[in-house]
Amino acid sequence: MINGIKFMIDMYVSGIVYAACLVFAAGFLCKIYFGYYKTPQPLKIPQTPQPTTLSGVIMRMAGDVLFFRSLAKGTTLLFIAGWVFHFTFLLMIIRHLRYFVHPVPGFLVALGNGALAIASLLMVALIILFVRRFMDKKVNYVSSFADYFVLLLIMGIVQSGIMLHYERFRPNVVEVKAFMLELMELKTPFLVMIMHPHHAPGNPLFITHLSLVALLLIYFPFSKLMHAGGYFFSPTRNMINNAREVRYINPWDKG
Amino acid sequence: MTEEKTAAEQCDEACEANERIQEELKFSKIKVKPVKLTGEINIPDLNPNAMLGVKAQLLTAKEMLEHLGYPADGLIPNWKEVFLRKMDEMLKKYRSVKLFMDICVKCGACVDKCHYYLGTGDPLNMPVARAELMRKVYRRYFTLPGKLFGSRFVNGSDLTEELLVTWYTYFYQCSECRRCSVFCPYGIDTAEITMAAREILNSVGLVQKYLHEIIFKAQTAGNNLGMQQNAIINALEFVQDDLQEQLEMDNIRVPIDEEGAEVLFVTPSADFFASPHIESLYGYAKVFHQAGISWTMSTHASEGGNFGLFIHNYEHMKKINKRIWEAARDLKVKRVVGGECGHMWRVLCNYSNTMWGPFDYLDPKYKRPQHICELTNDLLNRGALKIDKSANEEFIVTMHDSCQVARAMEMGGMPNGQFEIPRAVIRGVCEKFVDMPEATIRERTFCCGAGQGLLGDDMMATRVKGAMPRMQAYHYAKQESGVNFVALICAICKAQLSKMFPAYGIAMEEVGGIHQLVGRAIVLGAKESV
Ligand code: SF4
Ligand code: SF4
Ligand code: SF4
Repeated sequence: MINGIKFMIDMYVSGIVYAACLVFAAGFLCKIYFGYYKTPQPLKIPQTPQPTTLSGVIMRMAGDVLFFRSLAKGTTLLFIAGWVFHFTFLLMIIRHLRYFVHPVPGFLVALGNGALAIASLLMVALIILFVRRFMDKKVNYVSSFADYFVLLLIMGIVQSGIMLHYERFRPNVVEVKAFMLELMELKTPFLVMIMHPHHAPGNPLFITHLSLVALLLIYFPFSKLMHAGGYFFSPTRNMINNAREVRYINPWDKG
Repeated sequence: MTEEKTAAEQCDEACEANERIQEELKFSKIKVKPVKLTGEINIPDLNPNAMLGVKAQLLTAKEMLEHLGYPADGLIPNWKEVFLRKMDEMLKKYRSVKLFMDICVKCGACVDKCHYYLGTGDPLNMPVARAELMRKVYRRYFTLPGKLFGSRFVNGSDLTEELLVTWYTYFYQCSECRRCSVFCPYGIDTAEITMAAREILNSVGLVQKYLHEIIFKAQTAGNNLGMQQNAIINALEFVQDDLQEQLEMDNIRVPIDEEGAEVLFVTPSADFFASPHIESLYGYAKVFHQAGISWTMSTHASEGGNFGLFIHNYEHMKKINKRIWEAARDLKVKRVVGGECGHMWRVLCNYSNTMWGPFDYLDPKYKRPQHICELTNDLLNRGALKIDKSANEEFIVTMHDSCQVARAMEMGGMPNGQFEIPRAVIRGVCEKFVDMPEATIRERTFCCGAGQGLLGDDMMATRVKGAMPRMQAYHYAKQESGVNFVALICAICKAQLSKMFPAYGIAMEEVGGIHQLVGRAIVLGAKESV
């Protein structure tokens, strides 16, 4: 009986991790390749400020990606909350690398010390974004269930993550890491397929945390989260403004 | 027997649908009052359906519709099928459209950036809400969850007549000015979506009159006004006579179809006689005359503008553009220069090369079309024009950056040249120049409120409301610095503002072109050396 439940948990945890990674990778790449890369852009439509050189375009895009420069031109609150959210989220993802690499490099250990503070900041940013979406009449008007859903989902991930930090809920970290490293072995997916999963940590909160992350990954390619890769294909941002000097060919009108 | 009956019934149903739509979209005159000018641009509260009643007139002239390749009898019976087919084509041909359907996070950075929203408070005039009109159809019909689980699940829209009405209404309340896209973290350009939506509406038979009538005229007569060759020649001769008389000089000219001239000059046909446009035409003539550059206009390419840009119908735009390309070759000119027109600059300089290839038969020094401001600025810098700034003494000048220039194409081969060069020209011919508030100029400039096919008289309600931000900004500059002249480089802006200024209680004479100022300040015949 106990063994049966144990087996099902092991299967579930291994299964969602693989399913999530697969759906995310395949979905993301398909969208990027067939949806964006392969769709032709007939005319050059770069938007001001229009760099006239490739390096200028790279600088411009870097400014957008790293410092949200376009967003900074508009609303300050959204810019700050949005930037803090993305940046702290990124830091948290980086921090989680410690469960996937061995030995753990020094900077990850260092990052670990600030983890609680970073995660709290992330939570605050999410709350601001949520409240703003709800309270600002204009933003509320254009928001649908999906927009709140993503925020709530990430909040759930962050909240469960923060709780895992505390003694009462903390899983056996050594066990977690061992499990993750096992999952990354080439033979493991096959073992899962023939119903011989590795032993997964049984901490319920940990499983919740992991499940929410898996859900986010699965949801990713079918949602607005595609902005993460899509930005790089945005023709108003990634085109060089040199149509007068260099002929730009319309892919479906080569005449 | 039964089959025949169903066919007849079907037609009835289709005809009824068309009648319903025609009724819904019937133009009715709506009078709106301009707001009082305070110099402030306030963000209005949501006012749902405020502008739902504003309908641009539909084109009904069969000959024109047939020429353009659109259905000639209004809404077609199988419109849903055609609608989706066209939308699919748009999604496959334009990465912009496809990508922008997917990646909007509804962050709301753009919600208060559109002049039509600011002027009306209508939520569907918020750029993201406008784009959502198409995104809803996209989610329902072009994504897997939408196809499987229907519109409720994905927050989509089914195709209904109501949807057509909303589309037609709000995609003709966007002037494709791209202001929203400046602030969008991903550069989502609502203009691209509007262009696609308009072409989809065209394919099912809902064709807006003002815009498409002009596309037809530009393709058949060669200019937006539909003037025939002799009318153009007459008009320009008249301008020349006028100029010669005014200046008491008989060697200043407005040449037309003169083979072997150095410059082919193209400009909006409104410049031939509309006011204040014509003042700029005098200005161009004086610049060329004084610089000793031989120039000519063309009856074949008698239009600088290209309304084909305003819908995602590449062929229309290409056809119109070709006339300039051909005229340049036929007249054996060395270079092509464009006059004061917003979107012309975008098409002529940015797209010409893509559509018809380089003007490689021109002088290699001027392989690319130039803007008249580039040319004049160059001459000013070289000291090739003698200028008497005191001729413009009475003016404290500001500049309205035309959005199609500001946000589409650089000038002088350097980023931000489109802001600096026209300003340099103004400063070169006027003593006093003051900018309007930073948030309303340069890349953040507000549209005049009538661009990209919304200049018709039927659009007066949106024109008045959409002009609000620009009017407030101008009023502010007027209060603060005593500005009394706004210099423009766009024919549509000129037409719109010279109507809006009086509506908002400002004198019409305060609107004019940059080359109007140049023309006043040039000292003719006083050339020492070049
Ligand atoms: S700014 Fe861009 S991403 Fe944000 S709501 Fe507007 S269109 Fe969407
Ligand atoms: S392109 Fe201009 S008119 Fe159209 S939605 Fe954006 S800001 Fe408004
Ligand atoms: S008319 Fe002028 S301001 Fe208005 S959209 Fe065109 S270029 Fe922009």
